[in-house]
Amino acid sequence: MAGRVSMREKTYDIVIIGSGAGGGAAARELAPLCADGVRIAVLEWGAKLRDDEFSGREVDMASKLYFDSGGTFTRDRAMTLAYGRAYGGSTVIYTGTSLTMPKDVVARWNVPGLEYEDVQRRALKYVEENNVHLLAEDEINENNRLFLKGCRELRYHVEQFPINVKGCKGSSLCNLGCPNQAKQGTHRVQLPQAEAHGVEVITNCRVTKISDRVCDAVVADPRFGEPSKWEPGEYRVTAKVVVLCAGGVVNSPSLLLRSGFGDHLPMLGRSITLHPALILVGEHEHPISNFYGHPKSYYCDEFWKSDSFLLETCMYFPFVTAKNLIGFGAEHSELMRAFPRLQMILVLALDPAVPENRVTLDTHGDPVVDYTLTEPLLDTLHASMLVSARVFFAAGAKRVHAPAGASFFIDATDADRVEELIPRTNVKPGKISITSAHLMGGCAMGRDAKDSVADGWGRVHGVPWLFVADSSLFPRCSEVNPYVTVMALADRVAEGIRNNAGELLA
Amino acid sequence: MKSLSQEKAEFLQVLAARIVPETAALDAVGLGRFFGIMDEALQGRPPAVRRQFAAFLGILRWAPLARYGTPLENLRADRQDAVLRWFEDCPVSLLRKGFWGLKAMVFMGYYGQPETNKLVGYAPEFDGRAGLHA
Repeated sequence: MAGRVSMREKTYDIVIIGSGAGGGAAARELAPLCADGVRIAVLEWGAKLRDDEFSGREVDMASKLYFDSGGTFTRDRAMTLAYGRAYGGSTVIYTGTSLTMPKDVVARWNVPGLEYEDVQRRALKYVEENNVHLLAEDEINENNRLFLKGCRELRYHVEQFPINVKGCKGSSLCNLGCPNQAKQGTHRVQLPQAEAHGVEVITNCRVTKISDRVCDAVVADPRFGEPSKWEPGEYRVTAKVVVLCAGGVVNSPSLLLRSGFGDHLPMLGRSITLHPALILVGEHEHPISNFYGHPKSYYCDEFWKSDSFLLETCMYFPFVTAKNLIGFGAEHSELMRAFPRLQMILVLALDPAVPENRVTLDTHGDPVVDYTLTEPLLDTLHASMLVSARVFFAAGAKRVHAPAGASFFIDATDADRVEELIPRTNVKPGKISITSAHLMGGCAMGRDAKDSVADGWGRVHGVPWLFVADSSLFPRCSEVNPYVTVMALADRVAEGIRNNAGELLA
Repeated sequence: MKSLSQEKAEFLQVLAARIVPETAALDAVGLGRFFGIMDEALQGRPPAVRRQFAAFLGILRWAPLARYGTPLENLRADRQDAVLRWFEDCPVSLLRKGFWGLKAMVFMGYYGQPETNKLVGYAPEFDGRAGLHA
């Protein structure tokens, strides 16, 4: 009780929780209201790192920019989840790949009132303002070019990723936060614009509960980054008009569950999708440029519709690479010492939305993610490993390491035996490293409280002052890298709030 | 290590030498970094996870007792590896996951050190354009 007595009070008209793709875009879209005297705050759990704090050091950056250093476990510990915690949220630590959602997928979402044309129009706005473009050919490294070569050799369809960089120097450190401030995430584009209009962004501020337009929050001092605008301590933050939740797939549903909204929203936290992903490695005879240049230039969607998986280029850092290899000891060390000769492919499975996969709370009120890697999903991951191995060999790799390989290496002389050498029985959860490429769902949009959490404008069913604007709104997976879609939806949610500002502010 | 008893930390070092052989050659400073990184990672996890990790080390240590009559650290290196391989591929998924967690921890402690980056040929540059066209 003593703690509550010392709580400090703050009052705004609109409180946005989270500053990533959703929260950042919504903040900027609502910011013009500040000119009319509307007070807006963004409460962000993570820190705002100074430019010189982006060290590119793997463990250091992971601990500062990711929840659980990027290794949050699912309840059964068969998968890890990587998601960001920073001024700019996960837009600080993604690679900046910027795809708009296919028309088919919007149709499959089947959200009343949500049309493809509307999502696409908004997405293209962010494509333009985030400087999304294709890298020139001479900016693409060998890791990526070899993927293109392998896929073309096999006549697989490949596309180049548009990316949102400005002044990219090819550090390849995107997933550790760009040390050159080139990536155009919300921390570089939308949040500074919102702040220029008068939006206050409070970092190191964790919202623990929402009740009737009042957010309980705690400000901490993580001992890095810029100091928060508020002193460390406990706060009661009143939103006179609207609370907009954009904390992401783990934190938005868990915050709403902790706040009691699950009582009238049976779908809250349910039907999350994770794009389960794993990494394969091909070793070449000679060093290739892999950790210089942008890490992610191409994707192969040949098997998108037929087998529900995508292949993407990727380049990870020594620790992440090491933990994604199967085995240990001398042969593992040997492959690690071949680092400059390694080509990498990330495969990701397009997973169905099922209610049993969900975010829930443990006895302390902390989020727990229940997710089952079903046999069909493991089949998909297996199929994707076979295809990836073929791509490596077609690109000229001398040997391949597949997480489900019967032996540590598959030599090029055995390239025509990959099916036999990567047996399905070896795809064992808990043995191979599987991580979530993209987190989606948990506060799905839909018709009513029986089938969803929010309507097509992000308004939570039955709670007129509460909105959601992040990837938790996705009723199914996006089937492509989702951040532009998150921004498009947040733009739509903000427009809905703006259009109803008179009514809401009355 | 704050997260593990001295005995468990010493056993972890035995395991580390099988998982990443280079850890056996770390000097005192390198070992300090190795344990420091793992300790910080464990400290950041809930107490239950730290207890489970310590318990799993105990299981690994004593698992060979029935077959070989001795704890793992007294076995020949090839037998230690065989025991670890059994855990990695174990039919009991909980034990597989435990071994995955152990491996991840050791890899973090070793490969998470910037000082070991150059030993594997990883030399990132903030301006990677020169390397791209080298």
